[in-house]
Amino acid sequence: MLCEKCKKNIATTHIRSIVNGKKTEMHLCAECAAKEGISGINDAGLGGMLASMFGDVLSLDPAASLVKCDCCGSTFHDISKTGKAGCPQCYKTFYNEFLPYLKRVHGSIRHVGKTLHAPAAEQEPQNDIMKLKNELAELVREEKFEQAAEVRDKIKELEAGA
Amino acid sequence: MSCWYNNAAPDGDIAVSTRIRLARNINGFPFPAKMSDEQRREVNAKIKNAVSGNIKTDLKYIDMRDVPENERYSMVERHIASREFVSNCENKAILLSEDETVSIMIGEEDHIRIQVILPGLQLEKAYAIAADIDNKLCAALDIAFDPTLGFLTECPTNLGTGLRASVMLHLPVIESRGEMASFTESVNKIGYTVRGMYGEGSNAAGSLYQISNQITLGISEEDAINNLKIIADRIIKKERESEKSLNKIKTEDLCMRALGTLKYARMLSSAELITLISRVKLGLNTGAIKGDINPIKILIEGQPYMLMKTYGNMTDGERDINRAQAVRNALSNVRED
Repeated sequence: MLCEKCKKNIATTHIRSIVNGKKTEMHLCAECAAKEGISGINDAGLGGMLASMFGDVLSLDPAASLVKCDCCGSTFHDISKTGKAGCPQCYKTFYNEFLPYLKRVHGSIRHVGKTLHAPAAEQEPQNDIMKLKNELAELVREEKFEQAAEVRDKIKELEAGA
Repeated sequence: MSCWYNNAAPDGDIAVSTRIRLARNINGFPFPAKMSDEQRREVNAKIKNAVSGNIKTDLKYIDMRDVPENERYSMVERHIASREFVSNCENKAILLSEDETVSIMIGEEDHIRIQVILPGLQLEKAYAIAADIDNKLCAALDIAFDPTLGFLTECPTNLGTGLRASVMLHLPVIESRGEMASFTESVNKIGYTVRGMYGEGSNAAGSLYQISNQITLGISEEDAINNLKIIADRIIKKERESEKSLNKIKTEDLCMRALGTLKYARMLSSAELITLISRVKLGLNTGAIKGDINPIKILIEGQPYMLMKTYGNMTDGERDINRAQAVRNALSNVRED
C-alpha cells in the first residue's frame, strides 16, 4: 500500500480513529507520519520501542482497548504497552491487531517452518478446501480424472457448508 | 565436569561456539510473566513429567531455588542459562545434561526454552539435537501452535519457528582493520544481527562477536540456519585470509607479550584477561604461540562467578589475585620458546 500523502513511499504507519462514532483510516509512510507528528519510535529503550511499534497502530482506537483475552485477561492496550503477549490465546484474540506489527518486524505474517498437527476439530475449513484444491490440481495434472471428480465434489460440498 | 568448551571444535580457530534456542509454550496457561504461583508449579510439573517420560537422556531436573547464587550466575558465564533466568529463581527450573550442552529452561520468558550449545561451528548438529528434544516434547505436551503464526511465544519477535541460532566468532584481525561496521551492516540487511559478546559498542571486548538470526516468521528453520552458516563460513574464511597478511614479527610480539603477562601476572582484572586471551588465541592461530592451550576455557573459568563458585565469595581485588593464580595454573606447562 502506498502512502496517502506523498503517494511515493510504502505506507508503514496505519492509523484508525473513531471520532463521534465516525471511523477514519490513514495510511502513511514513516516520513509523512513524522511530518504529521506521529512517531513510531520513542526513547524508552527496546521495550519502549517494541511497544511503540504497536502503539502507532492501535493506541488511537479506543474500541479495541475494551476487548479482553479470554484466557489471561489482557487487552491489546496492555500488550502494546509491554510489547509482549499475555498468553498464546492473545494471538487469536488480537490476530488482526498483531498483523501490521508482525509484518514490520518479520516482513512476513505466514509461518513456513516446522508444523504441529492441530486436532481435526480445530482445523479451519478453509485450509481443507485449499488442500483439496491442490490435490485436485495434482490429479488433473496426472490425468486421474475420476479421482479428480470426487475431489471436486468434496470441495463443492465444503464450500456450500462454509 | 566436562563442559562444552572442553571439547575439540570444528573451525575452532575462529568459531568459539554455536547455540540453538527453541521457544515453546503450553496452551491454556498465561506466559510466565503473568502466571500465578500455582500455574507455575502446574506447568513445571507437566514439563518435568514430559521430559522424564519421553526423553531418554541424562537430563537432570534442577529446581533453581536449590542452586546457590554463585553457581547460578556462573551458569550465565558458561552460556547455559540467561541472566534474566537466574536473577529470580522462584518457580524456575532447569533440565541440564551432564556435559551441559543441552539445557531446558522452564519459566524463562517462555514456558520452555530448549538450548543446545556446542563448541565451534556446528549449526546442523546443534539443531538436530534441539529438534529431537522438541519433537518429543511436542508429542507429549499441548504446545501452543497456530498454522499461520507458527509457535506462539511471549515476545512477537520470536513467533513462527521460535528459533534463535547464533554463532560466537573471534574476529581480531577483521576488527583491527575497521571492517566490522560494514560487515555488520551487510548482515543486518538480510535479517541477522551482530553484537559484541562481552561489553558494548563497536569494538567488542576480546573481539568476540555473536551473529544470530533476527527473523523467525516466514523463514524455515533450515533456511535460517543455512543462511547463518553461509555468513559464518564467509567471515571465518575472511578472518583466516586476513591472518596470513599480518606482519609476522609484530604479531608474534603482541601475542607473546600477552602470554607472558598471563603466565606471570599476580593480579588480573576481567577486562585484562579477555584482552590478553584474545591475543593468545590469535597467537595460536598464526603459529606465534605453540602449545596445548584452551584460551576459551581459561577465559570462562576466569569469570567472576566461576571463580567464586570455586573459591567462595571475595572482593574485586581478591578476585583479581585468584584469577591470576587460576590462569598461571592453566598455563604452567606452556613454554614460550
